[in-house]
Amino acid sequence: MATNIPANLKYTKEHEWTLIEGDTVTVGITDFAQSALGDIVFLEVPDVGSELKSGSTFGVVESIKSVSDLYSPVSGEVVAKNSDLEGSPERINEDAYGSWLIKVKVKDSSELNNLLTAEQYQEFCNTSH
Amino acid sequence: MTLLKTHLHEEHVKLAAKIVPFAGWDMPVQYTSVKEEVLAVRNDVGVFDVSHMGEFFLEGKDAEAFADYLVTNDILNAPYGKAIYSPLCRDNGTVIDDLIVYKLSPGRVMICVNASNIEKDFAWMQSRHQGFNCTLVNESANYSLLALQGPRSYAVLAPLLKELTDTEYYSVVETAFENEQVIVARTGYTGEDGFEIFGSHVAIITLWQKLMSLKVTPCGLAARDVLRLEVGYPLYGHELNDELTPYDAALGWTVKAQKTKFVGKEALVSKPAKNKLVKLVLEKGIPREGYSVLNSQHEKIGVVASGTMSVILNKGIALARIEIDKAPQDEVFFIDIRQKPYEAQLVKKPFVTGGHK
Repeated sequence: MATNIPANLKYTKEHEWTLIEGDTVTVGITDFAQSALGDIVFLEVPDVGSELKSGSTFGVVESIKSVSDLYSPVSGEVVAKNSDLEGSPERINEDAYGSWLIKVKVKDSSELNNLLTAEQYQEFCNTSH
Repeated sequence: MTLLKTHLHEEHVKLAAKIVPFAGWDMPVQYTSVKEEVLAVRNDVGVFDVSHMGEFFLEGKDAEAFADYLVTNDILNAPYGKAIYSPLCRDNGTVIDDLIVYKLSPGRVMICVNASNIEKDFAWMQSRHQGFNCTLVNESANYSLLALQGPRSYAVLAPLLKELTDTEYYSVVETAFENEQVIVARTGYTGEDGFEIFGSHVAIITLWQKLMSLKVTPCGLAARDVLRLEVGYPLYGHELNDELTPYDAALGWTVKAQKTKFVGKEALVSKPAKNKLVKLVLEKGIPREGYSVLNSQHEKIGVVASGTMSVILNKGIALARIEIDKAPQDEVFFIDIRQKPYEAQLVKKPFVTGGHK
C-alpha cells in the first residue's frame, strides 16, 4: 500500500505520528491509518490538563465502519487539543499530517527513544499488513 | 480456511477495492469512500457485486406450494412475476434465514438466500421436501448477481436488456443480456429504486464491465450496510439469528397466520414476542453492535443490533433490540458508549426515506 511517511516525524506501531519540539510532542494519526480507517466521522480526545500514560488509550477515532482506540506515544500532560477537528474529523482523511490531535508536555524524555523513525515505520507497515 | 472469491474478483482488484473476508468470501468492502458510494446510490446509481448470495430453484407442479409451506409470508396468493420477502422459520418459530422468493412462472420459483446460510437453508429445505412434487436445486455456484441501485437504475439498465418494462417494485422478469438469459428483479437492499440481475458468470462479468464503462459507481459492502440501516432493513446475524423469531425483528407483518399451514405456524401464532426492534437516532456519538441500551434510570433494557453513522443524516443511528417487559413508557432511551450514556431519540419511520417505487 503506497503511503506517505514524512522523514521529520517519529511514529508508533499503533499508527500515530509525533512531531518532537523541545519537551512538547504533537500527536496525530498517520496517512496509513486514515487510509485503513476510511471516512473518519468521529473523534474523541482528552481535554487540556489530562494526564496521559505512554501506551495507554487516550481517545477514540471512528470511521463509518469501525471504532479504533488512540494510544499515547508518551507520558505527560495534554497542553493543547485541536478543537478544529471536532466538527470536521474528515479533515484527517484529507491531510493526516496537517491534522494534529493533541500536544503533550513530555514527562520522561527517555520515552522518545521508543518511537520509530520514518524508515522503521515504513518497514513495520510493509511487514504487518 | 480458504476464502471463496466471486467471479468478479479480478474486476474488484483492477479497481483497487479494499477486500475483506465476509461470510466465508473475499468481498469488496469499499472502492473509494463509503460516503461517496452511499451518495451515489441515494442520488444517482451504484452497483454491488453480491454474487456470494445463494440461489435455489424449485421446479414442478408443487413449486409454489412448497415455497409457501417453507416460509411465513404468502406465496400462493402472490401473482407470477412477483418477489416476496420472508423469514424462513423452524417449527419453534426461530429464524433460519431471511430470503426473497421469486415467482417466476407457473411451476418455477427461485429463492435467494444469504451467503452465510446457503448450506443451512438448503439442508433444512431438503428435510421438508417430502410430499411436494417439485425439484429443489442449489444453483448458487452457477449464478453471479449484481445489485444495481439508485434513482438512475432503470435508465441505465433498460437499454442494455432485451426487454425491461418500467414495472413495479418487487417484480421479477426473465429476459436476456447479450443473448444470455438473465433474471431481473426490481429488488435491493438500499431502499432506493433498483434491480438485482441474476445470470451466468460470463453474462454478469460482461454486464459489470458495461456498467463500469457507463460510469456507474462500484459500491462495496460497507456502503450497503449503511444504506440498509438508513432504511431500517434487518440483516441476518444482527437483527435476526437462530434464537430469534420474526417478531423480535419487527417482521410480524411477514407472518401470515391466515395461511392454512406453514413451518412454524403453531409456535408463531401462540408465542408472545419477547423483544421489539426500535430505531434510535443520536445527536452525539455513534452506536455500535453490542452496545447496551438504557432507560432514563440508566438501567440496561436492550442491546444495539446494528449501528453506524448515517451518511445522509450525519448522525449515529441504531436498530436496537429492547426486551418488551422493560420497554420504557416514557420512550426515553440512552446508549452506553464507552461507559457514558448518550441520549437517543426513538423514531418510528425509517431514518431515511428511500426513493423506490
